[in-house]
Amino acid sequence: MNAPVSDIELYSTPALLEPFENYRALRDLGAAVWLSAYDMFVLTRFADVRAALANPAVFSSAGGVTMNQEMNDKLRGGLLCSDSPQHDVLRKIIERPVTMKALAELRQRVSDEAEVVVERLVAQREFDVATELAQHLPVTIVSELVGLPEEGRERMLQWAPANFDCFGPINERTTAAFPIVGEMVNYAFTQCVPGKLKPGGWAQMIWDAADRGEIDASICPFLMNDYMGPSLDTTIFATTSAIWLFARHPEQWRQVCANPALIPAAINEVVRIESPIQTFSRYVAQDHVIDGVTLPAGSRAIVAFGSANRDERKWGDPEVFRIDREASAEHLGFGFGEHQCVGANLARLEIRALLSALAKRVERFELVEMKRGVNNVLRGIEHCVVRVH
Amino acid sequence: MPRVTFIEPQGRTVAIDITVGCSLMQAATSHGVAGIAADCGGACACATCHGYVEGDVATALDAPDASEAAMLEAVAAEFRPNSRLSCQVKASAGIDGLVFRIAERQD
Repeated sequence: MNAPVSDIELYSTPALLEPFENYRALRDLGAAVWLSAYDMFVLTRFADVRAALANPAVFSSAGGVTMNQEMNDKLRGGLLCSDSPQHDVLRKIIERPVTMKALAELRQRVSDEAEVVVERLVAQREFDVATELAQHLPVTIVSELVGLPEEGRERMLQWAPANFDCFGPINERTTAAFPIVGEMVNYAFTQCVPGKLKPGGWAQMIWDAADRGEIDASICPFLMNDYMGPSLDTTIFATTSAIWLFARHPEQWRQVCANPALIPAAINEVVRIESPIQTFSRYVAQDHVIDGVTLPAGSRAIVAFGSANRDERKWGDPEVFRIDREASAEHLGFGFGEHQCVGANLARLEIRALLSALAKRVERFELVEMKRGVNNVLRGIEHCVVRVH
Repeated sequence: MPRVTFIEPQGRTVAIDITVGCSLMQAATSHGVAGIAADCGGACACATCHGYVEGDVATALDAPDASEAAMLEAVAAEFRPNSRLSCQVKASAGIDGLVFRIAERQD
């Protein structure tokens, strides 16, 4: 093997809390580095991560996108861990309720909900962004629009981060999370079924597609995960990170208040600098050479979005939070290529609605208290108490 | 800096000197030009920054790449041969004099 080798443990607790020095060391070591702690490669530079995501023939998702075999086996059959042609069939079905056209119909409702929750919290003056603001829209949307049965719904906020913990290499976090994911899988198989799902909801639409013969009914329970798993903590963490960043950079918030048309660009900059999903992986399906390093067929390569989004080779000043950054839309925080986040426009809609409502009412966020969470692939803040002025 | 004139849906015209490398969408949204939603912030993912390039200079623009061409199929207003997504048109010296007529609706 001709790759540079590193023993950096990306998935240890201290590394997850503060990944950026490690990422930088790995970027400087090489385009593709062998991580001896995990027996897999890692791609940390923007250009290589982007190129891998654009090359599914070599960097396969059907071979699994998590960093352990057990979870890759569990997810096989769903959209995330699929390659074409199956991927295209599944994506067309899953994306139906979250295309721009479909979301246009949701816009007013999301905006109204955001106004209500923001009005209430601003009147309260001091609140925990993570638990009182950021959870509201994703939880409401996922339960109501997906059409999940009431029973068991309250466990969703435990299932979602556990789902992502199970993406890491086997460690104490992964081991603790598997039983929780087991609950979610059981819920998907026994409760997310016709008769218990809300008619007309997104989950029911997947079963309808099976009735029409578009997909086999046996994979419907796996597709439930494609709605439940990725739509909660990712959006919740992006929202909390946004407020935390604006609290620490009040001049950026003032720009938003002066011109709310900048909010979509600001959301991109938030997702770039605090990427809620830091790493996934790909299965190397064919021998492939990057910068003189051979990645043999059958190996696994971590694609480090969180590193790519801070690569100084791409971003002149990656550590700086600047909503007017010209290239902010080019971040890889939603992925890239055929597996690019299918819910990205829904997430943007939710976050924009909250930030718009806040921009009308809040001149400044004062950070009172903050505690970062730890998760094998998610980067986020668990508690973020602010006082609004 | 190249000067681009935006025509808002209600008819108001706004001329902006755009920094080379900045997109038409970025120039428009930072100068308070109305009619561009740009929901995805310029990621070529939402088709809500749509408009029509006009003027002699329009013919000198590079054609849309594959991702922009795919997104242009989803625009809400009428698609015309001179339709472009403003987030995908970057300012260069060669676009001085370009007119961008913002589409009458973005959803």
